Amino acid sequence: MTEALQETLDLFAGSDVETRRMLLLDYANGLPELPERYRALMEHGLGRVHECQSPVFLYPEVEDGAVRLHAYVPPESPTVRGVVSLLAQTLDGASPEAVAAVPEDLFQQMGLTDAIGLTRQRGLAAVLHRVKHAVAEAS
Amino acid sequence: MTRAGNDSHGRTNQRHAPTHTAAMSTYAHPDALVSTDWVAEHLTDEDVRIVESNEDVLLYRTGHIPGAVHLDWVNDLQDDVLRDYVGKDEFARLCSERGITKDTTVVFYGDKSNWWACYAFWTFKLFGHEDCRIMDGGRAKWEAEGRPLTTTVPEYPSTAYAAEDPDLSIRAFRDEVLKHMKKGGALVDVRSPQEFIGELTHIPGYPNEGALRAGHIPGAANVPWSRATAEDGTFKPREELEAIYLTEQGLDPKEHTIAYCRIGERSSHTWFVLKYLLGFDRVKNYDGSWTEWGNLVGVPIAKGEPEKE
Repeated sequence: MTEALQETLDLFAGSDVETRRMLLLDYANGLPELPERYRALMEHGLGRVHECQSPVFLYPEVEDGAVRLHAYVPPESPTVRGVVSLLAQTLDGASPEAVAAVPEDLFQQMGLTDAIGLTRQRGLAAVLHRVKHAVAEAS
Repeated sequence: MTRAGNDSHGRTNQRHAPTHTAAMSTYAHPDALVSTDWVAEHLTDEDVRIVESNEDVLLYRTGHIPGAVHLDWVNDLQDDVLRDYVGKDEFARLCSERGITKDTTVVFYGDKSNWWACYAFWTFKLFGHEDCRIMDGGRAKWEAEGRPLTTTVPEYPSTAYAAEDPDLSIRAFRDEVLKHMKKGGALVDVRSPQEFIGELTHIPGYPNEGALRAGHIPGAANVPWSRATAEDGTFKPREELEAIYLTEQGLDPKEHTIAYCRIGERSSHTWFVLKYLLGFDRVKNYDGSWTEWGNLVGVPIAKGEPEKE
């Protein structure tokens, strides 16, 4: 867990359902562009999260014990894009141990179940799982 | 003013004309479809309401057809306590809030080749809304054609909407499916081959909604739902659909036919194809689908390739 993620968690949990959706959409709009060096990998299908319904591409870097998560999710999938963006931004610079310690029920704690529905939340849990797995592999 | 629409026999009383393209006119009930051109020309019609229904709950907010309202399959159409659709009073409230009257022409569109639009269409039919249409090609086609999108959420005066009791001629329950199976009735499983064969309990890449057994209802044909759609998200022409469902699978438009998938959403797409494009008058959607059947104690299940008749 990082301070930034904890702050985001508290912000979501303390907001009403409608605000949570708006916040997630803000994150979706704010996903940083995928660096040029990863474009070719993406075009070859490398880094794709196959468990995910939307085309999600994750490229975690760990340098000097600090995590940086690069990712691509198409704009047609704003919910997953929002969640990936939220993780990329709030886990930026964290230690791999801190990423591993992100609670499995993060999205439930944030109140996303109410905002997007239980069925969809299960899909997002898979995204979190993949992020943690990818960071662990890159460490 | 006369109302446009396809009545229960699929006949048309024309007001908006033409609602569809020449290619669409070969379908059994072409009035169930409208083109993107038609929608573009009727955006501000008072008696037309455009409804966007997507897999992604936030997609509507990123931009939608001007004047379109949003309807979410999880948050709006499903009861959050019972495993069922909302009741007819709640359905009436959803319509009322969106300025839909019993006489409104409701046009559905959405992401994923109108998968969820068909689900919403089916639900509207369940509660007796007569004039429902699908915008062929859905959201992807509208966007690809460079047509306008807006983030402005429209507001319409609320209406007094009285929903009908559920029309069970389009909805199948488990006991009926079991009887139908025992009689050798036609069943169409629209899930992926891996789910059908019994290698997986859920669609590759989607969350598992929980089934304890994998396989299919004995005797079911396997036609993944997306085989009915073309590259651009529109429905395939009638002759191509007939080649799949009639020639290849041997289904008969005159027979009782039941479509199912995992939770009844993909199969509502196939239900639409069979009923409105190919004229299967007696096709039902089994929305309990595999998450019910695959968990029922004692019901028969088959694994492997489809059984030969």
